[in-house]
Amino acid sequence: MKKAGVFIAFLAVASSVALAVASLDPCASSSSSKVVQLSLSLPPGLGSSREGDVRLGSRKGVEDKFAPRFDGLRFIEMLVTVSSSCRPLVRKKAALCLLRLYRKNPDVVNIDGWSDRMSQLLDERDLGVLTSVMSLFVAIVSNNVEAYWNCLPKCVKILERLGRNQDVPQEYTYHGIPSPWIQVKTMRALQYFPTIEDPNTRRALFEVLQRILMGTDVVKNVNKNNAVHAILFEALALENMTRMLLVSDVQDIIKSHQAQIIISLKDPDISIRRRALDLLYGMCDVTNAKDIVEELLQYLNTADFAMREELALKAAILAEKFAPDLSWYVDVILQLIDKAGDFVSDDIWYRVVQFVTNNEDLQPYAAAKAREYLEKPALHETMVKVSAYLLGEYSHLLARRTGCTLKEIFIIINEKLPTVTTSTVAILLSTYAKILMHNHPPDPELQEQIWSIFRKYESCIDVEIQQRAVEYIALCNKGAALVDVLAEMPKFPERQSALLKKAEVAEVDTAEQSAIRIRSQQQTSNALVVTDQRPTEGSLPVSQLGLVRMPSEASTQDQTSFQDEGMTKENGVITEVVPQDVPPADLLGDLLGSLAINGSPATAVPVEQRNQNLLSVVEATPEAAGPFTLTIVDNQPNSIQPIVNIAERFNELCLKDSGVLYEDPHIQVQCPLEFVNLRASRDVAVLDFSYKFGTAMVNVKLRLPAVINKFLQPISVTAEEFFDQWKSLSGPPLKLQEVLRGVKPLSLPEIANLFTSLHLAVNPGIDTNPNNLIACTTFYSESTRATLCLIRVETDPSDRTQLRITIASGDPTLTLKERIKEYLVNIPTQTPSAVVAPLQPQSPVTPVAYNDPGAMLAGLL
Amino acid sequence: MIRAVIVMNTQGKPRLLKFYEFQPPEKQQELTRSVFAVLSGRPDNVSNFVETDAIFGSGTRLVYKHLATLYFVFVFDSCENELAMLDLIQVLVETLDRCFKNVCELDIVFNFNKMHTILDEIIFGGQVLETSSERVLKAVEEISRLEKSSSSVSFVPKSVSGRFGR
Repeated sequence: MKKAGVFIAFLAVASSVALAVASLDPCASSSSSKVVQLSLSLPPGLGSSREGDVRLGSRKGVEDKFAPRFDGLRFIEMLVTVSSSCRPLVRKKAALCLLRLYRKNPDVVNIDGWSDRMSQLLDERDLGVLTSVMSLFVAIVSNNVEAYWNCLPKCVKILERLGRNQDVPQEYTYHGIPSPWIQVKTMRALQYFPTIEDPNTRRALFEVLQRILMGTDVVKNVNKNNAVHAILFEALALENMTRMLLVSDVQDIIKSHQAQIIISLKDPDISIRRRALDLLYGMCDVTNAKDIVEELLQYLNTADFAMREELALKAAILAEKFAPDLSWYVDVILQLIDKAGDFVSDDIWYRVVQFVTNNEDLQPYAAAKAREYLEKPALHETMVKVSAYLLGEYSHLLARRTGCTLKEIFIIINEKLPTVTTSTVAILLSTYAKILMHNHPPDPELQEQIWSIFRKYESCIDVEIQQRAVEYIALCNKGAALVDVLAEMPKFPERQSALLKKAEVAEVDTAEQSAIRIRSQQQTSNALVVTDQRPTEGSLPVSQLGLVRMPSEASTQDQTSFQDEGMTKENGVITEVVPQDVPPADLLGDLLGSLAINGSPATAVPVEQRNQNLLSVVEATPEAAGPFTLTIVDNQPNSIQPIVNIAERFNELCLKDSGVLYEDPHIQVQCPLEFVNLRASRDVAVLDFSYKFGTAMVNVKLRLPAVINKFLQPISVTAEEFFDQWKSLSGPPLKLQEVLRGVKPLSLPEIANLFTSLHLAVNPGIDTNPNNLIACTTFYSESTRATLCLIRVETDPSDRTQLRITIASGDPTLTLKERIKEYLVNIPTQTPSAVVAPLQPQSPVTPVAYNDPGAMLAGLL
Repeated sequence: MIRAVIVMNTQGKPRLLKFYEFQPPEKQQELTRSVFAVLSGRPDNVSNFVETDAIFGSGTRLVYKHLATLYFVFVFDSCENELAMLDLIQVLVETLDRCFKNVCELDIVFNFNKMHTILDEIIFGGQVLETSSERVLKAVEEISRLEKSSSSVSFVPKSVSGRFGR
């Protein structure tokens, strides 16, 4: 009988796991524990070698094979639970066998109603069996804590038993410590349970933990040291989780370890440094946050580069989570930016701005701090950004302090202007605009200085900056309206910290979900509670996508479309106006932004474009959706065919989400438009937007940024292809040549950049003359399809102010070459050219820069 | 859970490879090579814990002990305590030592079957099965008794076990 069992089991090894499990059946009837033991070894043991084969086959098939045989499982369960008469060797293997099968497929192993059995199992006296049982318990508890509350006191009992070294056989002590593995596993299991309700159990656990925390000393024996610290660290983790830190003497004990951990931050081994950082992060709470964060800040100076980003993020999160007061939080983040600006992601400083905006008490303090930092000689760019932003918003609160007049603030910010990159310049320009707004009574000198800066950037090659400059100038001319538009940013709606989200992203693939992660998902940042945030727009679903978009960014986008549109007096034929619900780009939404159908999130309303009057108008007519219509303006008959039911689309657009458009004035509606270019044209695409307010008709004509170079696609050609084409196209109108004089001196790379941004692919090496430039592109339209265009620029190295340009394309009707020619002539010279003024009436929202071709071209870039 | 147990010498030659999740042989070799590359670059005075996200996937760590000419390496995920794993290596080594009396690399080379049996009694399907070296030894002895008594099935060819067994 014995041998038969072994033989069957052995055969099973050769065939498959399914058979192995099958072989459990005959074994079940066998009374020999050796046979049972051997067959138990198979499924888990095979996991390592045979799993691959099983996976290769269809999973379903495998399960089918398993299913009828799972009486074998019952047998294992029985072995584990009931038959304490079985030898320990068999029972512990049975427990692990069950665990392995449970991991493979939790549904197959039926553990319903196991809590009582589990509780029995935890009474086990044999520590070998207990080790296995505890592994099984951790796996089961990690999936479902609720059902196993009755096991909690048992776990504490086990810890007590081991902690006091009662009833532990000599063979299960490791360097004098009662099985550290069980202790560690038990504490792991306890970590899955939230706070313990029962006071007796809690006290018992607390005593055990205290014994561990106090009793752990560094000893000479390395192995013993390892074991006691293994227990200690788990205890610390559990301690921290159960938040039993309230008793002061325990706190002191932990603090003594805290010092040790902080020292470990300087350990020569990077993995220890990382661990120490993680541990500090984990054990931080309201009481020691200040110390730990300050320690982290100091450490930032010397930390490895590989760790700095993580370090900065963690310090920022801790500061946010446990900030005793918000001014401290602002201090920490500013220090963080100062010390490790390169490693501070944008999210971090956005968060500061968010807090400051939401807490009025904090605003003067933050502004003063920002002012202090600006005096430092070498300043990280992120610091310039955040300081400039804060001072722009709140510098007027400092007006009474010395050295904080608007003018002085302007001067100190302006010192940074030449050294910063474009993204920062954009923020600085907004700051200047805000300073200008607070300039009461007007200081003509300051005003002139700011205006001169705006004027300088009005022709900046960077679209973003140029747009800001142009718009701010326009706004300045509006006089009193400026104050409305540039008013202080509204409060941010409450969000989950993007930083926390970011920290959570690190997904770990382990057999059991980490208790720490489960807990951290349940916790919320308490810093948010501190903000005196009034609940905003209760009906609005608050986006969980993390941080709200910062004003700077939001306005960037809005302005981009605005500017483009403002520049678009050129060609372009609008054909289909197709509002869509899921916008890939927000075009109309942004356009309408100025008309106040804007607002969710409310903060995304760019200050510069906020129009209070219209807002109130809209608020006054909640049922205004009725008289709206959306039609397409035929500025070119036959060129525009609506392809969808406009009315239906409009309703969908307006009524989405809430069902009523103006129930809430802050609902933002986005409406992307798609353009098809029918043929080359110089006409402007205009969206005629009108609605009725009461009896008054409001009409706005919005120019759309459908410029010709949007329909270009860069293409690279070989020298052969190029010359073939070039020769086949000869003479006007296929090939046009012109010598341009009075060009603003541009180096060849600069011209190449210009071309690239116009969607013209520069092909180096085709022209052997290094002073010449060849570019190619393809123009798309409905009537002409793809048309190849070749451009050649010949420059004179001795006189950069003149160049000769030749443009060739296969379509004589293509006005594109005219346009490109004009761009190239006009842009560098920055003088008004003979270009025909826009045929369309001026759009009321974009009165700016129409006559500045330089700005125009830059806008097209 | 424990993902793998690797015993290799300081030249990078594997003496025992045990993966508790299926890995094809080529992958096993590759993993062994990467582990050796990590270990050989570490001086003696640094920590015995290494994060191996790049080799074994995210969240995995390895703990190793360098004893005489051998590296004992345990790879595991975040469900296990590193120091407990280090202790477990110690248990494994102590058990080997008891079994072979002053264990050296050659013992492991010639008695690989015994080595596997011992390991299987300590770690089972990636979980800690037994932590008492006395109990492990008892189980191992029982298995070898069983082997001897069952003449029809021998797990290791007689010629090999007879020549090198003690």
